[in-house]
Amino acid sequence: MKKTLRAFFSLSLAVLLLLPGCGRGEKAEKEFVPKYDTETSFSLTVAGSYGNFESLEAEFERFYEYYPNASLQYVTMDDYNNVISKALIGNEPPDIFTTTGSMVGNEKYKDMFDACEILSDPSLGIDYSCIRSSLIRTNDSGEILMLPIFTTSYGMLVNMDIFEKEGLKVPNNYGELEDVCKALKSAGYESPVMGADRFSGPGLFNCFIYPMFAYDVINSDGAADSLNSFEEGSGEIMRRSLDRLDEFVSSGGIDVQKCREEITDEYDSVIMRFFEGDVPMMLATGDIVSGTAKRESRSDAFSANPFKYRFFTAPSGDDGGYFINSISICFSVNKNSKNLDMANEFMRFLISKGELGNMAGLKRLITPVDDFSFDEVYSALADIPDDRSFSDKETGLLDPAVRQFRAAIYAVGNGKMTVDEAITAYGNIPEE
Amino acid sequence: MKKALIVIPNLLIMGFILFFIIRYANYKVADSNKNEIASFEKMTVTTNQIITNYLEDEQHLCDIWSNYINGSAQAGTPMTADEAISYIRKAKISQEIEGHLIFLDDPEKSGVSTTASITDPDVYTVSYKNINIFDNIENVSDVNDVVNLTRAYTNPTNGVQSIAFLNHVAVYDEENGEIKSGLLMRVVPLSRLEQKLVFLKGEYENVEISLVDKDGNYVVHGKSFKNSNFFEYYKSYNVASAEEYENVAKKVTGGTGTMIMKNAKGEDCVLAYTPLETMKIWFLIAYIPESDLISSRSVDWLLLGTVSIGLVSLLVFNAIVLMTYNRKLADAAQQANQANEAKSYFLSTMSHDIRTPMNAILGLNEMVLRESSEEGIKKYSESIRAAGNTLLSLINDILDFSKIEAGKMELINVDYSFVSLLNDLVNMVEKKAEDKGLSLNLDIDENIPTILNGDEIRIKQIIINILSNAVKYTKQGSVTFSAKASKIEDVPDMIKLKVSVADTGIGIKKEDLDRLFVAFERIEEKRNRNIEGTGLGMTIAQGFLAMMGSKLEVESEYGKGSVFSFEIEQKVIKWDPIGDYEEAFRRSLSERINYHEKFTAPHARVLAVDDTPVNLIVFVSLLKRTGIQIDTAESGDEGIALFVKNHYDVIFLDHMMPDKDGIETLKEMKALTDTPNDATPIICLTANAISGMREMYTNAGFDDYLTKPINVERLEMMLLQYLPKGKLAPALDEKEVDEYVLPDFLFRLKELDVNSGLNHCGNGESYMMTLKLYQDTAAKNAQEIEKYWAAGDIKNTTIKVHALKSTSRVIGALELGEFAARLEKAGDRGDVETLEKELGELISRYRNLAKELEPLSGKAEDEREDDRPFIDSGALGEFYKNLGEFCENFDFDSVVNLVESLAGYRIPDDEATRVDAIRKAVDNYDYEMIPGILSGEMG
Repeated sequence: MKKTLRAFFSLSLAVLLLLPGCGRGEKAEKEFVPKYDTETSFSLTVAGSYGNFESLEAEFERFYEYYPNASLQYVTMDDYNNVISKALIGNEPPDIFTTTGSMVGNEKYKDMFDACEILSDPSLGIDYSCIRSSLIRTNDSGEILMLPIFTTSYGMLVNMDIFEKEGLKVPNNYGELEDVCKALKSAGYESPVMGADRFSGPGLFNCFIYPMFAYDVINSDGAADSLNSFEEGSGEIMRRSLDRLDEFVSSGGIDVQKCREEITDEYDSVIMRFFEGDVPMMLATGDIVSGTAKRESRSDAFSANPFKYRFFTAPSGDDGGYFINSISICFSVNKNSKNLDMANEFMRFLISKGELGNMAGLKRLITPVDDFSFDEVYSALADIPDDRSFSDKETGLLDPAVRQFRAAIYAVGNGKMTVDEAITAYGNIPEE
Repeated sequence: MKKALIVIPNLLIMGFILFFIIRYANYKVADSNKNEIASFEKMTVTTNQIITNYLEDEQHLCDIWSNYINGSAQAGTPMTADEAISYIRKAKISQEIEGHLIFLDDPEKSGVSTTASITDPDVYTVSYKNINIFDNIENVSDVNDVVNLTRAYTNPTNGVQSIAFLNHVAVYDEENGEIKSGLLMRVVPLSRLEQKLVFLKGEYENVEISLVDKDGNYVVHGKSFKNSNFFEYYKSYNVASAEEYENVAKKVTGGTGTMIMKNAKGEDCVLAYTPLETMKIWFLIAYIPESDLISSRSVDWLLLGTVSIGLVSLLVFNAIVLMTYNRKLADAAQQANQANEAKSYFLSTMSHDIRTPMNAILGLNEMVLRESSEEGIKKYSESIRAAGNTLLSLINDILDFSKIEAGKMELINVDYSFVSLLNDLVNMVEKKAEDKGLSLNLDIDENIPTILNGDEIRIKQIIINILSNAVKYTKQGSVTFSAKASKIEDVPDMIKLKVSVADTGIGIKKEDLDRLFVAFERIEEKRNRNIEGTGLGMTIAQGFLAMMGSKLEVESEYGKGSVFSFEIEQKVIKWDPIGDYEEAFRRSLSERINYHEKFTAPHARVLAVDDTPVNLIVFVSLLKRTGIQIDTAESGDEGIALFVKNHYDVIFLDHMMPDKDGIETLKEMKALTDTPNDATPIICLTANAISGMREMYTNAGFDDYLTKPINVERLEMMLLQYLPKGKLAPALDEKEVDEYVLPDFLFRLKELDVNSGLNHCGNGESYMMTLKLYQDTAAKNAQEIEKYWAAGDIKNTTIKVHALKSTSRVIGALELGEFAARLEKAGDRGDVETLEKELGELISRYRNLAKELEPLSGKAEDEREDDRPFIDSGALGEFYKNLGEFCENFDFDSVVNLVESLAGYRIPDDEATRVDAIRKAVDNYDYEMIPGILSGEMG
């Protein structure tokens, strides 16, 4: 199964590369040329769950440069996941709406997907070749109903000024991480690595070790299926990552107790603590990184002593870190839109290396395109070798299996279970 | 004129105009914009009212629903939730509007909707579990018409963005049989509220109306506002301190007003805000780009551009025109300059070429006057001298005028004695006035300082012009010369000198006053045609005064006289007052007599160098009586040879000479060393009488200069100055002359050698007495000689001739004496033939001499007139005839001459009145009256 999938994606990649005009990053991107009369007056509504979508609104402004009489509006929908399907068939349906990878295959969203325009329809002219192919989701018919706008990942924020000050290099592998942590500890940093010790959300252990676990799952035939079905002994696949986590916690590179006390939530507190300026490495997700820009000015410490920071993969592997790329949100078009042509025209405009890069840069999330140069914070991701770079969909893991792994690392990391206990208890590990 | 002097002021004026336009336009625009913003704010308030009305209307409908439901409960017949919803379903009119009855105490915050779920027509239940809109539910009022409103949210039944009006209702819970409280929601699509704002688009195309709650969260979201919160949006795009952000939040939620903010594009936008009436938790924000409110500046720029182009075009046009005219003017000026240079050259040439022969003419004429014994010749010679002097004066006037015109006249200030200046003036004018029978009155301020500093020559020239004119145009009466001085405040070493000349002359008509100072203009030309002059005198005087910062003032009454006056400032060198000028003048006159007439220097030796032999003859002749030894040379080289050879006390060197001119000769002389003349003063003789010559010649090395024609008085004064004092000696008859000024005419009598006569008589007094006696007895003696000769009395005749010989020798009539002596000898010999032949001539010469000496006889003119012959009637008739013809031809010169010719005749009594009337008419220049007098129509 896994081999089939990999063969499929490899083939897909080859086909995409061979498609005329679909070379990735090796050709100059064509400038957007409006398909319709630029004087056309029309309104579009984009619905989503983000309370705030300034990066999209910036794209509206850029789109107005081509269609000055257009009027695009982003609407935050309450109870989005429950309402979006109704809204699409309601009196005031959105023209474009956000979707996520987790919606795929969920019966709840069948009506919603039924209302989606087929974006892969060549007649629309949407050139999505700039998006990393591993992020493209298709339906059973191979049609593309959603295109990724933002992606996220697990890794760590690094205070570059501390490394520069201490004369250290950002670690590329676990061995280097241990050395760096020792050096930093001797330099007075009590917990060289910190993070939010929370079960819910992207906890620090998850950020550190989940990519390694996903890598192991992808590279172990049938592991995902076994894990998904909680087969006996299937938890064994967790051993390498749990051992590494246990080793790391035991090494003193991270003071879990300190993390629990000083970082009170898994988002805002992570950022604000990092901005205090004394944390060399803060385990975080791309979503957390997206909140840094706005909070720089809110942090008195950072305002007083600003420093340079970057996002790196956590160097959990002996050879280096693992870059697991997961979709944050996608855009879909309501095929029943009153302005369907213009909704597609906006998507045609938006789906390009430049516009998606701009959006991701503004949102400070990881761009779905293969060019990381739009945001310096994520520039280090470009250096990850392909064999350690993959998307979450490649794991084939279902949510229950993922939650059990999270429970396992939470228990091991906090010393509630040994590695063996956690492996044995897989499928029945208590979830908070 | 420099271009910059035109361009810069023009550009400054243009700049000022454009600056004014910009400032004014900006002011108007600012005012207009202010009004626009005020209007926009008013619109916001109006919109507020519209929305408020709408919200109140909706709330009122919600109140009706709740009142009905609550009324049922209060009446003891509470409605169940389904009944209540059923009622509402029936009561509501619009399909878009829903009624939700929610029970907040339910964990799911669920309830019943009037409308089925859009995805399942059988489901009427609705849940608000995941919709956070009830944070302030405790504030929901049960008072009717008080708006209780949610924020905009997504209607869970249909996914439509909506707002909901709230009221608490009491319904019957069938499960437990109790009344329970529910929240009745009148759910209205947000689009209905937004429709209320559409009308604004007509007035403000790009206006966006938003509603925000007190935290800045959008209820209604304008297109341009990013973010979900207005204050967050403001923070994102407007740089301000935390305090300023806080102030913005306070302002927006604190009342009605307007502010300027940046939008996402960095453009300035106007934001008008006002709280929704009756509902203080929402605030209306009207947003519009400032450019939509700001008046179009295109008209201003058009105006500015048009004015700018117009002004620049005008400048360019003017510059071209000016440049064209300037070019023409420059050409004209160049031509004028060339013409002026030609004129200057001509004048310079005239100066030399006319003055040089004039020197010969006047000098030789002076010799003729001195040496000729013939009355006719002397008369002609006198006329030549008068005409020559007039001609010289005219030339000088023209030269001065030309210099003033050309701007080349320069004032040369020197220290001068004011008394000396007065002396010169009075001396020059006194004789003329006396000749015309005018009295010259002097009114000289005694306090005028002795030594002043100024251009003495020009001041003298000015006053002479005025005085000469006064004398010329005054027939009878007086000329009063007045000079006053007053100190100038704040200028310690200066005085203001006021000079005025008043006459009792013919005066000037008012209409002629303006012409007085116009060059070559002569007032009443016809009447004054016999008065000499170029018409430049007053112009020159005015020109000099202008250079001195003054002007000539004229007050005149036609027929009664004029007063010419001016004021000039003079620097004082010596403050000693001049005192009583008349006394000073007399002293000066006395001093002048001392040196002028009588000095000899027989041991002095002088060299005169001039290429014109006649000039040398004149020079020698003029100094003949001084006894000075004079060597002459006709060229520079000849002069240098004498210079090396002999010692001279003074050397006179002509400037303009061929081959080697005076300056070159001087340089060679000065270059020579060990000559007998190392310290000898060298004086330049020049015909150049132009101002500034003194500087030129002294700079060239001359000690002084003397203009030609040579004025003998100046020449002698110069010699008195430069000759060694030891070589100067008074003439022998100096004393007599001191007391008795011998009449000039004696020296002009050919028969008379005055010096010889003085030698014989011892002094002037006895000489004069002898002469008078000689004259008095001459007639008688002549008659007696004739009588004795006629009687054949040779002896007595001879005796009388002897007497004549002696007396003639005594008075200096040496030739006449010799003549008489020769005839005496003839008489002694009995040489009758000789006597017969020559006695007549002797008696004739004797009588002529006596006649020439008549001025000494003291006889009254009238008495002499009596001796004049009566004009015969034929001659008088001819006189009248000719006079009539001359008047008819306007030949008034001939009229004057003809009338003057009557002076030699006595007029018969019967014609005396007519002739007197004619003379009077001529004297008064009333020539036009003469024909009437001739025809007997005398007024």
